[in-house]
Amino acid sequence: MSEAVIEVSRLTRRFGARTALDSVSLSVARGAVYGLVGANGAGKTTLIKHILGLLRPGNGSVRVFGLDPVADPVGVLSRIGYLSEENDLPGWMTVEELIRYQRAFYPRWDDAYAEELRQTFALDPTAKIKTLSKGQKARAGLLIALAYRPELLVLDEPSSGLDPIVRRDILGAVIRTIADEGRTVLFSSHLLEEVEQVADHVTMISQGTIVLSAPLSEIKESHRVDGRLPSLDEIFVARIGKA
Amino acid sequence: MIGYLFVLAIIKLVIFERGQRVNFDEESFAFFVAVPVAATFLYFLSVFSFGLSGDLAARQSMYPARMLALPVTTSALAGLPMLYGTSVIVVLWFGMRLLVLWPADVDVPVIWPALLAASLLAWTQVLTWMPYPLRGMRVIITVLWLAAIDTIVMLALYLKASEAVMLAILAPHVPLAWLAARSAVARARRGDVPEWRGRFARVGRIEEVLPHFPSPARAQLWFEWRQSGRSLPGLVAILLPFELALLFPFSHTPELIFEVLLLVAFTPPVMAVFVAATTARSGATTSDAHGLSPFVATRPLTNGSLIAARMKAMIRSALAAWMLVLVATPLALRFSGAAPVVIERARRLVEVMEMPRAIAILLLGLAVLLASTWKQLVQSLYIGMSGREWVVKGSVFAALTFLAVALPLAVWMSRNRKALALLFNNFALIAAVLVCLKLSAAVWIAMRLRDKRLLSDRRLVIGAVCWDVAVFALYGLLVWIVPAMLVGRSVLALIAILEVPLARVAAAPLALAWNRHR
Repeated sequence: MSEAVIEVSRLTRRFGARTALDSVSLSVARGAVYGLVGANGAGKTTLIKHILGLLRPGNGSVRVFGLDPVADPVGVLSRIGYLSEENDLPGWMTVEELIRYQRAFYPRWDDAYAEELRQTFALDPTAKIKTLSKGQKARAGLLIALAYRPELLVLDEPSSGLDPIVRRDILGAVIRTIADEGRTVLFSSHLLEEVEQVADHVTMISQGTIVLSAPLSEIKESHRVDGRLPSLDEIFVARIGKA
Repeated sequence: MIGYLFVLAIIKLVIFERGQRVNFDEESFAFFVAVPVAATFLYFLSVFSFGLSGDLAARQSMYPARMLALPVTTSALAGLPMLYGTSVIVVLWFGMRLLVLWPADVDVPVIWPALLAASLLAWTQVLTWMPYPLRGMRVIITVLWLAAIDTIVMLALYLKASEAVMLAILAPHVPLAWLAARSAVARARRGDVPEWRGRFARVGRIEEVLPHFPSPARAQLWFEWRQSGRSLPGLVAILLPFELALLFPFSHTPELIFEVLLLVAFTPPVMAVFVAATTARSGATTSDAHGLSPFVATRPLTNGSLIAARMKAMIRSALAAWMLVLVATPLALRFSGAAPVVIERARRLVEVMEMPRAIAILLLGLAVLLASTWKQLVQSLYIGMSGREWVVKGSVFAALTFLAVALPLAVWMSRNRKALALLFNNFALIAAVLVCLKLSAAVWIAMRLRDKRLLSDRRLVIGAVCWDVAVFALYGLLVWIVPAMLVGRSVLALIAILEVPLARVAAAPLALAWNRHR
């Protein structure tokens, strides 16, 4: 593996009395597909928000491309494509306006690729975002996160709202293509089957602590039962149950 | 509030001798009773209509969405907050009457004021929960409707209507409002939001032929303009025809013509206050009503650039609102036949003041109103940008408290010669203290901006130079216009420093950084 794109070191974050992240360390290598899995409230989104600089570390440090995302938001965010689980695209924009607005921020924006994605995702350019279904909004969010071919793609629960066909055919293909081009993907999901299909490396997080982080093949190998490779689902239940 | 009224009553009953009246003149009545009660009433209006938790300018109902899913009937959903609100308002009124007015022997009616307060609350609830076809329509209709009720009551008082008549006028309001509220909540439950914007779609299409944005800053400016910049011109465009229509029946009454023109002139800055309150927290998510949405927070722009885009959009907004006023007013004067009256007054002004000075005063007045409109739009930006609910609500409370103290104090001082003389004699000192506070706050903010690398040294210097130029320009104009024997030059300099916004505007990037990187 080459150098780390994301370096999280002993990151701790508390919200009042609750510890959301407890001394989390994570290193994401360039060109890999990292799956971040955990139950609801485990701390996946909190970790992603620290990587994006939306949260300030309580203790520890976060470096993305060697930069502090809080101190240098432009340096970091201009190289990241991000899909939020909140579906917070401005409802008053049309799909066309959203694309036009987004392309202004990224010199590497690829118009042909954006149009290809728009057609693949069957998005009407004149439709207002607020009139789109949840799945269509997720596709629009994915389009604007992908079309400038970011060095790092961060997807927070990308499957949320996507139908099974899009999940399997499009999302999986997109993620693999990006990784094949040498770019990096970090995505959180609670759909372990999906993570198993596309991730090279899996990080399990529970109650703000990383309980397991290793290449997927290594994880499976180390959990072999009676010569059989277990599914990620079974490993998750076993590890999170213990944690 | 009840505790406060109770304390006042105890003071009256214990400290003053029994049977002795407390001499509540107008100022002290306003200071001790009317203003705190009015502030509490306004607070209750916003609390019981759920007006603090949403976007007042939005088309959608402001009834909390989570409550619409409760397993209760629509009648109960509408009725219970109205019942609680009415009960609290009635308790407030009778508390005030029993604990303060009664011991002070102030002669006031028994029931109808409580009924008026309950009616105003009930209609505020209805109009807040109602969905509207256009953005901003809620504010306008609410203001007009409540003003209409108030006008009817004032007219009845003017005609010396008896309490029975007042009751007859006011009694139907609460049940009627409940029926309307039930309909509004039912529509909110169905997600029924009328749509008129399609009728204006043709205007919006013009933008589509524009080329791609040349820079991220331009794209963000477009975003801010589309998201919040059009609210003020929109509100002004809706109000202006009603105001200017008054010129037509009164085109030969100079006093009324100038009152209408004054009303028109103050419409943009006053509406800017409402717009600022509703747009300051643009980009908030559904999960966090005051926070910044990830979509905006992850823009690859510095906090300074995000704020600069908002400020520029607000300049456009103020200019667009004033453009409407400056185009529509001469047309209305011309077609109403009121123009000769205005021209005649202008001619007299020129005779008294000479042409250059009269033109300068006119332009200065326009510039001040334009700048004031922009100032209203941006000076509270730092509060909304902080993204903290406690800051937003705390600032509302602080503003109401300030008004509760400052207004009666101002009225009292205006009628007290000694106090007025004291104020005038120490005006320079007070202004100097305020200038010291403002500049200290600005220096502290500048240091924080520099330490946190939110603004570069170059931008800080450019900002400081621009502010100096604006202050000197204003000072020069004031020196030219105001005779030196009337106001000293040092006082004019202090006024210029106080008038040009600095600390609060500079605090906006700091507040945004606090919000964006939590």
